Amino acid sequence: MKTIRVNIQVNNEKNVLQVRPYETLLETLRERLNLTGAKEACSMGACGACTVVVNGIPVRSCIVLTAEVDGAVITTVEGLKENGELHPLQEAFMEKGAVQCGFCTSGMIMTAKALLDRKKRPTKKEIVKTISSNICRCTGYKKIVEAVEEAGKKMA
Amino acid sequence: MKDNFNIVGKRVVRSDSLDKVTGAARYTADIKLPNILVGKVLRSPYPHARIVSIDLKRALKVPGVKAAISGFDAYGIKWGVFRYTQDHAMLPTDKVRYIGEDVAAVAAVDEETALEALSYIKVDYEPLPAVFDPIESMKEGAPQIHAEHKNNINIHIHIDVGEVDKAMGKAFLVREDTFKAAGEAYAMMEPYAVVASYANGYLDLWMPNAGPHVRAKALSNLLKLPLNKVRIRHINSGGAFGGRSEVAPGDLVASLLSIKAGRPVKLVLSREENATSSRQVHDIMATIKTGMKKDGTIVAKDYRVIYNGGAYSSTGPIATSIPFYVYEECYRFPNVRYNGYRVFTNKGIRGMYGCHGRAFLAGNEAQMDLMAKELGIDPVDIRLKNGLKPGEVTATKSKITSCGLKDTIKAASERTNFKKRWARKSGLKGIGMGCIAIMCGFPMGFRSGSSCYVKINDDGQATLVTGLVDNGQGNESMVIQVASEVLGIPMKDINLVCADTEVTNLDPGAYSQAAAFVGANAVRVACENARKKIVSIAAQKLRVKAADIGLKDGLAYSMKEPDKKMPISWVVREAFFRGEPVAATGSYFPNIDFEREWVSRPWGQMAGTFSFGTSIAEVSIDPETGKIAMPRFTTAHDCGRAINPMAVEGQMDGSVQQAGVAAITEGNLWDKGHLLNPDLLEYKVPLACDMPDIDTIIISSLDPEGPFGAKEGGLTVRMNAYSAVACAVTNATGELFEELPLTPDKVLTMLERKKGVKG
Repeated sequence: MKTIRVNIQVNNEKNVLQVRPYETLLETLRERLNLTGAKEACSMGACGACTVVVNGIPVRSCIVLTAEVDGAVITTVEGLKENGELHPLQEAFMEKGAVQCGFCTSGMIMTAKALLDRKKRPTKKEIVKTISSNICRCTGYKKIVEAVEEAGKKMA
Repeated sequence: MKDNFNIVGKRVVRSDSLDKVTGAARYTADIKLPNILVGKVLRSPYPHARIVSIDLKRALKVPGVKAAISGFDAYGIKWGVFRYTQDHAMLPTDKVRYIGEDVAAVAAVDEETALEALSYIKVDYEPLPAVFDPIESMKEGAPQIHAEHKNNINIHIHIDVGEVDKAMGKAFLVREDTFKAAGEAYAMMEPYAVVASYANGYLDLWMPNAGPHVRAKALSNLLKLPLNKVRIRHINSGGAFGGRSEVAPGDLVASLLSIKAGRPVKLVLSREENATSSRQVHDIMATIKTGMKKDGTIVAKDYRVIYNGGAYSSTGPIATSIPFYVYEECYRFPNVRYNGYRVFTNKGIRGMYGCHGRAFLAGNEAQMDLMAKELGIDPVDIRLKNGLKPGEVTATKSKITSCGLKDTIKAASERTNFKKRWARKSGLKGIGMGCIAIMCGFPMGFRSGSSCYVKINDDGQATLVTGLVDNGQGNESMVIQVASEVLGIPMKDINLVCADTEVTNLDPGAYSQAAAFVGANAVRVACENARKKIVSIAAQKLRVKAADIGLKDGLAYSMKEPDKKMPISWVVREAFFRGEPVAATGSYFPNIDFEREWVSRPWGQMAGTFSFGTSIAEVSIDPETGKIAMPRFTTAHDCGRAINPMAVEGQMDGSVQQAGVAAITEGNLWDKGHLLNPDLLEYKVPLACDMPDIDTIIISSLDPEGPFGAKEGGLTVRMNAYSAVACAVTNATGELFEELPLTPDKVLTMLERKKGVKG
C-alpha cells in the first residue's frame, strides 16, 4: 500500500512517519508512538476522550487523519508536565477529586488546557460550555468544573 | 465510636489519580505484548435464526490469519450465574437469539486482515420468527426462544407476605397505576476489551471486570481448564456501573483464539458493539397497587413487574428482585405481594445496572405523593411515617441496624425549604423527593466475604494483598486510606496488590455494594492484626505500656510522652531479627442468611447492613416544548461514615447525572431487534451543560459493623434520583408519568392529558 510521509512534532519530539492514507491521528499516537493517554471511546468524534491539542486547538484525534496534520505541533496528556512538574490542571484534577475511572480524564484535561491557554481565568459558564464537548460517565462534571476553575486561578 | 482519626474522613487525593492525570494509567486496550494478534468477531444479523452451518475454511486461508473459531471449537458448556440459569453458550451452535450475538471470530496480524477474514466466514442461517415485546413473548404461540422456558418466562419471583387482599379491602385509599421505562445504556466510557494470553498451559487475561474471581471461575468452567490455570490480572477499568460483573462472550472468544493461535490476542469492541453485544439494561413495566390508611400508613402493596430480559438469563434472578428489595429495605410494608417476571425476547442480554429499576421505584414514589396529597399529607411526612427505623425488620425478614433515613429526609428537605415550596408551587415548576435504601452486599455463598494479607517491609512501608477490585469508584484508594489509618503509615508508602486471581483471595467484587462494608473491613482487620505486632515490639523497646503506643506518620510513639518514639521501620527490623516478620491476614464475612435464595426462598437477612438516601429535584417545564429544565438537585446520603468525603461526593454527583438527568434524556430506542442508538451521538449521556447545581449532604449513621462506621457510598443516589425527578414533575403537573425517560414528547402528552381532564 502507498504510504504518506508526515512530519509531526509531538510533545517536543520530532517524528518523521510513513502512514497509511486512512490512518487516524489517534492510531498514530497510540500504536506508533506508544502514547496511549488519548483513548478511543466512540470513534466518531462524539465524546472527546481522544482529544489532543494540535497547533493550540483541541482536536478529536479519532476523526483526524495523520496525513492532514503534516507539519503540526501536537501536545498530548503525556507532554503536559514541564521540568518534571505537573501542569496546574493535572494537580487540580487530583486535588479536587475530578478523576474517577479516568477514561475521559486525558481528553478533559487537554480540552481544558486549550481553553486556559487562550483565555485567562475563564468564568464557570465558559468552562461548562467548553467541556460540554466531552462526555464523562462517572463524575457528574461538578468536580471537573471546579478543577478547571482552580487551575485557571493558579495559571492567571 | 472513636472520632479523631488521622486520615479516615479526610478529603485525600485518590491514590490512583496521579497515573490517570498523566496518561500513564493502563487500560486493557493499551496493553501491548510481543506477537499480539488482533481479534474480531462476526455477529448475528438476525434476531432469531437456526444455525445450519459455519464454515471457517476460507477465512483461515487469508494470509496473516492465525486462528478462526466458532462455537463448534468450544466445549458446549453453557454459562449461567446460577445452576438453574445455565443457558448461555456465549458462542451458539444451535441458534442465534439476538442481533449482534457472537457467532465466530478470527485472530490476525492486524485489523485489516482480521476484518477481511471475517468477510470470508460463511454462516448458513435459517431465519425464525422473532419476538421483541415481553407481553407478546408471554402469549401462547409466541416464538419460543429457549426450549425449556414455556411462554418465554425466564424467572418468576413470587413474594407474598401478610394478607394483601384483605388489607387492600380494608384500606381507606387504594390506587393502581402502571409505569414504564426504557432500558438505559451503561455507556461506560471504555468499550469492552479483553487481552488473552495462553502460554505453557496458563491462560492470563486482562479485561475491565467487577469481580476477577467469579470471572476466572466461569472461564475455567467454559474452557475446561483447572481454576489455577486461569489468571485474571489487574488492570484499570473505564467504568462498570453493573455492566462488567459477569463473564462476557469476548472473554471466551479471545481465550479460544489465543489457545488456538498460541499467541496473545487483543479483542477491543467498538462503541456500537459495546452497546449491542455486551450487556444492556432491562426495559421495565411495573403495575403498582397501593393501599393506605386515612393517616397515610401504607397497609398493602401489590406488584406485577415485567422485565424484558433479552435473549439469555444473565443475572436474571437478581435483576428481577433488586428493585423490590431496595424499596422494602426503605419502607414498612405489613402486607406485600410481588410478582416479578423476567421474560426472554430476541433482544440483547440484559443485566444489573447501578440505576436498575427506575419504572418501579419512581412509580412507587410518584404514586405515593399523589395518594398522600389526596389525604392532605405532604411528601416529607408520608415518607417519615412509612420509612423504616433502626432495629426494624423488612417484609422479607432483613434486620435494619444503622439507619439514617429520617436524617436524610430532614436534611435534604430543610436545605431546600421543601415543604413550603412543594405546597406553594407556581406554574409548571415543581419540587420532588425520592427515598431509597441499598443492601451493602447480598448472598453470594462463600464468595460473600473478603480477605486481606498485609506485610510491613523492612523500610517501614506496607504491602496489601486483597481480591478487591476498583471500577473507577475509588475502592483502591479507599482501602489504602483505611490501612494508613490503622498502621500509621502514610498512604504513599502503602502498595496495593489487588484484583489478581493468582495472588489474592476471594472477594465479593464491586457489583453488590460490598467493597466498603466487606472489602475494606477485611483490610481493616488484617491491618489491626499487624498493628498489634508493631505495638507489642514498640512498647518493649520504648519501655511503655502497649496501650500507650500510637502509630502515625511512620512512627511508633508514646502518647503520654511523645518524645519517646521510633520509626516503624526499626520495629519491623527488630521483628525480622526475632524471626517473626510483621505480616498478618484478616477477613470479614458479613452476617447474611445463606439459606436465602432469590427464587426458592426469598426471605432472611439480605446483607450485613443497608445504606439510605433522599434526593430532591427541582424542575421547571416549558409548556410550549415540553422540555424539562432542572436548575438544582439536592441529595443526602447515609453512607455510615465517609472514608473519603470527596470520593463519596463524586459518587453522588455522578449518580445525579446517571439516574437523575438521565430520567429526562436516556433510553435505548428500538426498531424490532435493531438498537437505533448504539453510539454516543444518538444516545444522550448528559453533558456538563445539562447538569443542575448539585448540593450533596453526607449523613454519618456510624454503622456498628462497618469499617470506621462506613457503609456503601453513593449508590442510593443512583436509585432515588429518578424518583425525585418523577415526583417533581408530578408536583409541577399534578400528573403521574407513564414512561421514562421524560423526553419532551412524553411531557407534552402529560400536559395534554391534564388539559383534557380540566376541559
